[in-house]
Parts: sequence; C-alpha cells; structure tokens
Amino acid sequence: MDAGASTYLIRPNYKDKFKAGVAKECIGEILREQLYGVQYDPEEAPALSRALADCIKNKLRDVGFDRYKLIVQVVIGEQRGEGVKMAARCLWDADTDSFAQDIFMNDSLFCVAAAFGVYYY
Amino acid sequence: MDEDQSAEEVTDTKIIIAVESTIGNSSYQHSKINQWMSGIVESSLSQLTKLGKPFKYIVTCIILQKNGAGLHTASSCFWDNSTDGSCTVRWENKTIYCIVSVFGLAI
Repeated sequence: MDAGASTYLIRPNYKDKFKAGVAKECIGEILREQLYGVQYDPEEAPALSRALADCIKNKLRDVGFDRYKLIVQVVIGEQRGEGVKMAARCLWDADTDSFAQDIFMNDSLFCVAAAFGVYYY
Repeated sequence: MDEDQSAEEVTDTKIIIAVESTIGNSSYQHSKINQWMSGIVESSLSQLTKLGKPFKYIVTCIILQKNGAGLHTASSCFWDNSTDGSCTVRWENKTIYCIVSVFGLAI
C-alpha cells in the first residue's frame, strides 16, 4: 500500500481498473471448486465461510488490482425453503470503484460471495 | 484510530434505528422485501453520509426469514487497518433476521 502512495494517481489507467467480469469468474471458480458436493454443516460453516472469504481475497490480490482496497463478503446458508434477500449500497467514486458477485447453490446449501474494489488515491 | 472506533459505535446505533424504523414490528412478507431492503440500506447510507467524514461506505444487508435454517456470513478485507473499519449489526424479531454490515474506507 505504501509503495504506490507516492505516485499521486487519482485515476487508474483503463487497464488497471477493477474488472468486474474477471473478478466474477475468479469468485465463481473458487466457489464451485470448494463447495461442490459439500453438505451444510453448522459446525463447519463458520470456518468454511471464513476460508472462502480469505481464499477469494488472496486470489483477487494475485490477479493484480494494484492500488485497490478489497472487501470480500461470503454468506453461506442452509437450503430449507426460507426466503432470503441480500442487497448492498455504496457511497464511492463510481468511476474508479466497482464490485463483483456470484452465487453457488446445491441441494443443501447456497452461497453468495461479493467482492468490492475501492481505489486508493 | 480512536476517532474511527467511536465512529463505529455511533454507526451501530444509527443502523439499528434505520432497521427498526423500516421493518420494526412487521412479519416476513415476500412482496415487501424489496421495499424494506431499499429502505434499510438507503437510510443507513444517508445517516452515514450525514456524519460528514471523509469515508467511502459500503453497506450490505441480508434479510432472512426465520424457519430454522442456518446462515453464516464472513468477510475478508485487504485495507489499511489504521484508517479503515467495519461494523456488523444483527437484528431480529419474531419472523425476520436482519444482518447489516457497514464497511468504511478512508479516502
């Protein structure tokens, strides 16, 4: 974070922007890989959601969104026919900041992962 | 950092007020969910903006019907610990669970 701070860039280059498409694919891949065939288990779910969040965050850092602060939120729920809704609103610079999300569902659980990228001026 | 932490306490109270004023005593109704969602998230965000601090905010809200199912949420953040922070508020009534997370990032 400190190495980039001295260049005083207030806008990322077009190619350095947080790309929602790329991020969505990363998220989707990780969710499918890690949750395929997994049953909902109330003991393991907390650790699993934390691990997924860390894994997604590390993968996004590797993809290389420089000068972006990342926030990844993962929600895992049991499928029992209940109604669920998740929404987000953000106060940010629409030009530089963006988000990506993906959902994974199987018979016993559903998982929503959202990643937000906020530019560090 | 101290300023940031007391901002989190203030945020907590403001969010609880926003949630209660929107869904207060209501029962889960599928048709009203969208309306409640927008209401909660927008009023939380506008309360935060009124604080007038140099922060970018991300507010997420999850509304869940109570029927015995389990739900877990986790978040992982790559930011500057000394200036950025988050807070999560859980609220419930007889038929609804509501979880609101606020992330504040310093500019």
